[in-house]
Amino acid sequence: MSEQTPEQPRIGRDEWVASADERRAKSIVGQAQNALDRTPAALKLVALALPFAVFPLVVESEYLLQVGIDTLIYVLLALGLNVAVGWVGLLDLGFVAFFGLGAYLYAAAASEYAGRQWDATLAIPAIAVTVAAIGFLVGLPSRRLVGDYLAIVTLFFLQIWLVVLINASFTRGPNGISDIYPLEFFGRRVTSQQGYFYVALVAFIVVISVLYLMNRSRTGRAWRALREDELAAELMTMPVNRLKLMAFAVGAGVAGVAGVLFAPQQGAVFPANFDIVLLITIYAMVVLGGPGSLVGVTVGAVLINVSLEVLRDPDDASSLFYAVVFLAVVLLLRRPWWSSLAVLGGTVVFGLVVHEIAEQARPSLVQGTPFGEARIDEVVDSWVLLPADIVSPDGLPTGWLGRVAYIGLVAAILGLTLVRSRLWRSVALVPTLYLVACVWENLLLPQPAVARFVLIGAMLVALMAVRPQGLFGAQRVEAV
Amino acid sequence: MSPDRAPLLEVQGLSLAFGGLRCLDGLDITVGEGEIVSVIGPNGAGKTTLFNVITGVYPPEEGEVLFEGQSVLGLDPHQIARRGIARTFQTLRLFLNMTVKENVMTAAYGHTRAGVVRSVLRTPGMRREEREIERLAEERLAFFGDRLIGYRWRQPAYSLSYANRRRLEIARATAAMPRLLLLDEPAAGMNPVETHEMTELIGRLREEGGYTILVIEHDMHVVEGISDRVVALDHGVKIAEGSFAQVATDPRVVEAYLGTSETRRR
Repeated sequence: MSEQTPEQPRIGRDEWVASADERRAKSIVGQAQNALDRTPAALKLVALALPFAVFPLVVESEYLLQVGIDTLIYVLLALGLNVAVGWVGLLDLGFVAFFGLGAYLYAAAASEYAGRQWDATLAIPAIAVTVAAIGFLVGLPSRRLVGDYLAIVTLFFLQIWLVVLINASFTRGPNGISDIYPLEFFGRRVTSQQGYFYVALVAFIVVISVLYLMNRSRTGRAWRALREDELAAELMTMPVNRLKLMAFAVGAGVAGVAGVLFAPQQGAVFPANFDIVLLITIYAMVVLGGPGSLVGVTVGAVLINVSLEVLRDPDDASSLFYAVVFLAVVLLLRRPWWSSLAVLGGTVVFGLVVHEIAEQARPSLVQGTPFGEARIDEVVDSWVLLPADIVSPDGLPTGWLGRVAYIGLVAAILGLTLVRSRLWRSVALVPTLYLVACVWENLLLPQPAVARFVLIGAMLVALMAVRPQGLFGAQRVEAV
Repeated sequence: MSPDRAPLLEVQGLSLAFGGLRCLDGLDITVGEGEIVSVIGPNGAGKTTLFNVITGVYPPEEGEVLFEGQSVLGLDPHQIARRGIARTFQTLRLFLNMTVKENVMTAAYGHTRAGVVRSVLRTPGMRREEREIERLAEERLAFFGDRLIGYRWRQPAYSLSYANRRRLEIARATAAMPRLLLLDEPAAGMNPVETHEMTELIGRLREEGGYTILVIEHDMHVVEGISDRVVALDHGVKIAEGSFAQVATDPRVVEAYLGTSETRRR
């Protein structure tokens, strides 16, 4: 760069922009970001894979290993979806069909039902390529579609796939195929959970490396360019349609690999394994971690799957729930510094007062016992309104209080959005938080299957409000 | 009036209508090798539509577009771009969330060959190609003096000022290795100093880059400063062609811009 003298015109040479790096290096977040940028990719991969690699050495329970394998399969799915959604910006709602395809193709390649056993060294690449080719064919009619139209067509494809699975005789309909052989490498079967875990880990390392290298090439650059502006990309020599199909095929291939690992590990495949709920969960993982970031979607998949598992247990779920609420209040009310303390303290006092009044007026309102057995529930017992018999003998919530509190909570949140003054908003937050606790204890905790998805959804909403680009995503500017 | 050099681009009898609106009507334009030709005309005259037809965005209803003597009609836009026609956009269409350097590197796609497999294996050929693209991008950006170099390379395109975005569009277009450069209002939204700079720049593009240039421009100082020939359009019809002095004084051009004395009175 040429030396600047004061006599030179200053138009277009702004020091503020030029010194962006220096300013960034001054903040802690900026330093962390710089350090992350400077870290070599290989080191990042080791940092990502190492916790997985030691996981089977430190845990012994079969259940935890199963969670680990599921997590790795989810990570693979999130990485595959990220190609079309994160890099190219195509809203692909048919993605889990490719996962199912991979699983069913393995069932066709190695099961008692099919009457053959392909070696995994043959089955994995063959199925990955086949699923990628089918992804290419599915993309073919929709390659000119963008946005909502593409979403509808791919969703339609997923529905066709499910209808075929459920109704066709060769897939055994809703009964699924349940006698799938385990993976076999050179004649040696993988039988232990540890074995499957390491196979999945190797698949993860291979897939993330391939995707990383692909993204850092002219193909990856062209993908990102066509996400930014399709027409400009086309006019700058990039064959947009072919690039889109390639993205579809690569993503489908990765999903196929995940399917090949899923089927033999489970030993059975059913149409219900590949439904819309799974699709939404994978989308949530990509969105949470930050679309376009390989590290991000990996972390997103781990976070969501682990949270969903933790939420299965009512005691862990309670601890997680109160921790999240506490963190949310602290993070949202940062100024002045004592406001979060005031709100939390106010909520505690408010609850104690309400509990005391209810005990005097109608003792039946507080006679119930908390559903969970965690330590926090002993505190909760003398704080939240808990009528007797919140759960019927068959495990369903019967209490009217939970439902009333739920409606009250929705109304309170709507009302909260109308309050402008910061002071009054903080004041209104106190009964709202108390209602949150009542709903949790009376309605959600007794039915964890529902509660965990509600909670994950609430966490996502909160994160999107604070960090719309996801945990590791880069902030995007749409039009300026 | 025909150019005195061998024609690089020949547009013959081009017609296009959207519904009942005739955007182009029997248009003939020839651009000779090494020429700088300006297209002028009031808003809605069909100038940008002409660019869109030449680059393959819209198929014409009638007419022919010959580039280097061969028809480019029916080719996909990326194929036409690969043959050697690159353009900039009136309504800037940069890849905003990519860095300045990446923006230029993307346009080299058509002239590089490393496929997915070679990219994943990081073959020596692929690495060499990447280095070459990077060098190409740096060289193209250096064309604009110290406006787009050094610390700018790693910045996202959205952080650039309006004038720098126009420059980046030109740098990106030249990275597609064109023979013919279509510039759509390169000086729009620039201040007088920058406009003057852009006038010199377009001349330098021909001298140093060897590009043939077809340019749409509203600023008459720029048009006067750069043009070998000027073509004036109105309602998709060519109403005048010749040197700047000839076209600027042509009564039909004056009428198209200002209206006749009769319409003015109304």
